[in-house]
Order: sequence, then structure tokens, then C-alpha cells
Amino acid sequence: MHMATTLTINGETKSFDAPPEMPLLWVLRDILGMTGTKFGCGIAQCGACTVHVDGKAVRSCVLPVSAVANRTVTTIEHVGSTPAGAKVQKAWLEAEVIQCGYCQSGQIMAAAALLASTPNPDDSDIDAAMAGNICRCGTYVRIREAIKHAANGQS
Amino acid sequence: MSGKMRILTSVAAIAILAAGLGVVIIRGPGPLDFAGGPKVALADYRAGKPTGVPAKLEKASLVERGEYLAKAADCMVCHTKPGEKDYSGGLAFKLPFGTLYSTNITADKDTGIGNYTDQDFLNAVQHGKRRDGARLYPAMPYTSYTFMTDDDVLAVKAYLFSLPAVRARAPDNTLSFPFNQRWAMIAWSAVFNPDTRYMPDTSKSPEWNRGAYLAEALAHCGECHTPRNLGFALDNRRKFAGAITAGWRAFNISSDKATGLGNWSDADLISYLSLGHAPGHGSASGPMGEAVDHSFSQFAPEDISSIVAYLRSVPPQPSPDLPATTAPVAPASHKEGFTADARGKKVFASACASCHGWSGESPVSPMATLTGTWAVNDPAATNVAQIVISGTKRHTPDGALSMPAFGNAYTDDEIAAVANYVTARFGTKGSKLTAKDVAELREQTAE
Repeated sequence: MHMATTLTINGETKSFDAPPEMPLLWVLRDILGMTGTKFGCGIAQCGACTVHVDGKAVRSCVLPVSAVANRTVTTIEHVGSTPAGAKVQKAWLEAEVIQCGYCQSGQIMAAAALLASTPNPDDSDIDAAMAGNICRCGTYVRIREAIKHAANGQS
Repeated sequence: MSGKMRILTSVAAIAILAAGLGVVIIRGPGPLDFAGGPKVALADYRAGKPTGVPAKLEKASLVERGEYLAKAADCMVCHTKPGEKDYSGGLAFKLPFGTLYSTNITADKDTGIGNYTDQDFLNAVQHGKRRDGARLYPAMPYTSYTFMTDDDVLAVKAYLFSLPAVRARAPDNTLSFPFNQRWAMIAWSAVFNPDTRYMPDTSKSPEWNRGAYLAEALAHCGECHTPRNLGFALDNRRKFAGAITAGWRAFNISSDKATGLGNWSDADLISYLSLGHAPGHGSASGPMGEAVDHSFSQFAPEDISSIVAYLRSVPPQPSPDLPATTAPVAPASHKEGFTADARGKKVFASACASCHGWSGESPVSPMATLTGTWAVNDPAATNVAQIVISGTKRHTPDGALSMPAFGNAYTDDEIAAVANYVTARFGTKGSKLTAKDVAELREQTAE
């Protein structure tokens, strides 16, 4: 069953036909063509698909699109226009965090949500917020460094 | 009679009397005895129609009526092995004394019930007697189905016979002695099967009587939610007080205010039964999730309301091991609240926090909120561990929301640690599960 669905994504109203149980990630990538958000494991265990729903980091691969009706979705394509997202992206480039890059959309979304709620995170805050985002290249050290730089406004 | 004979006779008489008394004491009251009002035969009851299908199906065909009743009796969940054809049997029931397999109840003549006459089918469903005369084990809840009317049982048969016959032979049971002696079930049945059709209670409303028929004869709530007595039959002295069934805890559904359903609103109960979720009370998982998906979600709204009216009348039974109130929302910061189990916290941070949040209120969906659920407030953590092991999935009108199974990804030790962390952070009292406990829980649900 397809249904006309309307969502607010990155400040714009988007309308599309999708079954209500379709994961938000599929809507983003396959219907709306917003491929910045990545598919990793499909079971909310790797973090590559992280987006913001009402400002909180959630895994879009297990979130039925019907669950986000009337809520605000922000993706990697737009996070640079939020204050925390801009700081994170700048710090990421300065620290050369990225290696292969596949997980990095999710890492940046998780880090931006962390800084928006906890402007000065310590190591344990970073662990608690970032533990669900995994990186096969092992960039964790640089991720931690970049988050601290973004928090301090240094670069 | 010699003096010796007299003594022997007296001893025998006392033994028989004691055995009889013992049987009566163990058996206890019937499932509907608590209501206490005068009962009449169905034929003499004029106030309403407790049996059969809801009004909208009154004029439907026999097969359609049977379909509604088969779903209400939830035949499919036990008589279908996951991944196999509906009603073709083979589902394993792991018991302490061996494994039982459900039978094929499709109309296949060799491996199913294709040769059953109406009387054969009635014998099986109401009396626990197979076509070949052998006795059924009470894993088949015929002591509940016995309350169904002949018409309703035969409508179910018509429905089953309308479906494709599936050739599938269930594996042989692996019960140990003496449980492999089916003839012993003759005595069990004589003691524990009430073997009577539903009799309306004239002191209660027609709605209550409909609810009682649905809950007792069809939905067989007590089979999981009522503790068992020494004879493995339902102990209705503690009706609906909750019990462990198939490795999951079926919680207290008596009207107890603290640990039962006494404080649930009608809207909560209706929502939980028909959607598998009630705000602030959590979501149905495990066997109750299956009951919602295949049975309660298919009920007519007036039938759900009748069950609610009936549940409200069941006398309160406290669950002393549960807290008087569920724990409030946990702190939003991972630093506050319970932090003692470092390993459990690590697992929670990487596998759970992104959906359930550090406060227990899910940023994703109210259906994934942990706060207020009995699962996290049960100091035994039985259902928390089971959900972590096997995952859960809720189907709703808005689509499905699911949690993946972590049983293969994490060790018993890690699952114990995260269950202990979760019950301590989001419940009232942390559990003390060990890896061995988790291994045993896995064993009880493994297919």
C-alpha cells in the first residue's frame, strides 16, 4: 500500500508516495535522491545512516517513515547550516578525520547532535554518544580530537 | 472380616479419601468460579449472546465465522513452525522433561486431520482425545477450549478444512519417562479438564459474559498468565497472577492496582490488546507479541471491550517480587543515574542508546520507550534478556517497528551485563543475571 507522505526535511516540505513501513533511509536515498546518508548494516548497529529527528541522532535504517510524520528531519546535506554542524564539519577538515569516508556522514551527524546538547563534552560524553557509530578505518582518535576542537571553537 | 482385614480396609479407605481430598485441594477452583453468580445453560440465557462471532459476521459463511474464531483461539501460533505453512505443525515446546511438537491441523489425510469427523474434532478440542483414542498432552489447551460451544468448534473445523492441505509430519516427541506415557493423561484429564461448555453468569452483564467466553474458552489467557499447580494445571486460586511460560514472563493481568492491570485505563488495555502497545506501558513482545499479531489485533472492537470488562473483574493478586510502582524516567545524561556496571553501559552505549535513549524515553518512537514497562522493572530481567536475544517486532496500522535480535552478536556474559544495566538504570531494582542464566533463557526459547 502506498500513501502520500509529507515530511519536513532540511527545512523543505517534501511530498512523495511510499509505503508507511518503508525506512526513512530508503525514502531519503531511493525516492528523494539524497544519497549523502549511507546504508551500512540495516539494523541500527553501525551508525552510517544517522540523521537528526527533532535534533536528536537516530538511525534512519530502522525508522519507518510513518514514525517521522510531523517531525523535523535533518540530514548530512544540511547539517552544515546548523551552528553545531558547521563547527563539526570545519573541525573534521582541519583534523583530517576522514579516511575511506563511508561512515563519516553518520559520525558527523552524531557529533553534531552531541555538541548541540552537550557543548563541552568530556571523553565519557563522547564515548556515550559516539559508541554506536563504528569506523572500519579506525579514525576514532581523530574523531575524538575533532569533536574537542569543535567544542572549543579551536581549529 | 478378620481384624487384619478390617485394618487393611480402613487404611485403604483412608488412603482413597486422602487421595480424593488431595486431588480436590490441588485442583482448586475452576477458571470462572471467582465470579460467584448463578450460572445457567447457554440455551436458557436470554440477556445476550456470549458465544459465536461479533454482530458484523453474524450473516457470514461458516468458513468466515470459523476464521474469526480460529484467530480468536489463536490456533495458528502453536500449530505453525516459523517459516513453514500455516497450521502445518511442528513447532517445538521445550519442557523440563523433553520436547513436544505441535501437530499438523491442515486437512491432509495422512499427516493432518483430513480424516477427522465432526465428532473426532470435538473430541480433540473439548476433551483432549485424538482420533486414534490416544490422549493429548495439555500443551494443547483443551481444558480452555472445552468451554467452546460445539457450533464454534465446528466452525473452526470448517475453516481449517477450507485451507490447503499440507503434507507435513511433525517430529516425534522426546518426552522422558513417565511423561511419555500418554495413557496417564486419562487420569490428568479426569481431574483437570472441567469438560463443560460455557455457562453464562446471570449476575454479570452480557458484555462481561462475552468477555469471559472470549478470554477463557478462546484466547486462553490463563494458559500463560495463571501459575500452575502441582499437577501442571492452572492454579486458579492465583488466577492471572502471572507466570513464566516458554522462557518469557507473562506478567500479572489480575486487577491488582500495583502489579496487575488495576491502574491501566480502558484505553490503555484496548490499545495494548489491539495494537500491542500502550503509551507508558511498553510494547508486547515474545509470545504476547504473537498473540497480538495473530489474534487480538483481528478482534472486533466490541470484543476487545468485552475482554477488558472481564479482565477488570478478576480479583487482585499481588506479585510480591515486583515493585509497587515502576521507576520514573532516567536522567538524560549518561553520567547520572546508575553507572556501576561498566560493561553493561558499554554495550548499551553501542547497541541500545541510539534507539532507546539514555533516559529510557525513545527519541525514535514511543513504542521503543523503556520507562514504565514491566520488563525493565522486573528484577529478574527475564523479558529484557529475551528481547535482547531474539529481538522484537510490532506491526501497527502505521507499519512495523522492529528491534534486531542480538543473540548472535553478543555473548551470554554481555547480554547479562546489559540486562543488569538496563534494569538498574530504567527499572526500580537491577537484576543479577549471570552468563549461565542467559544460557538457560536461550535454551528455553531456542527452536
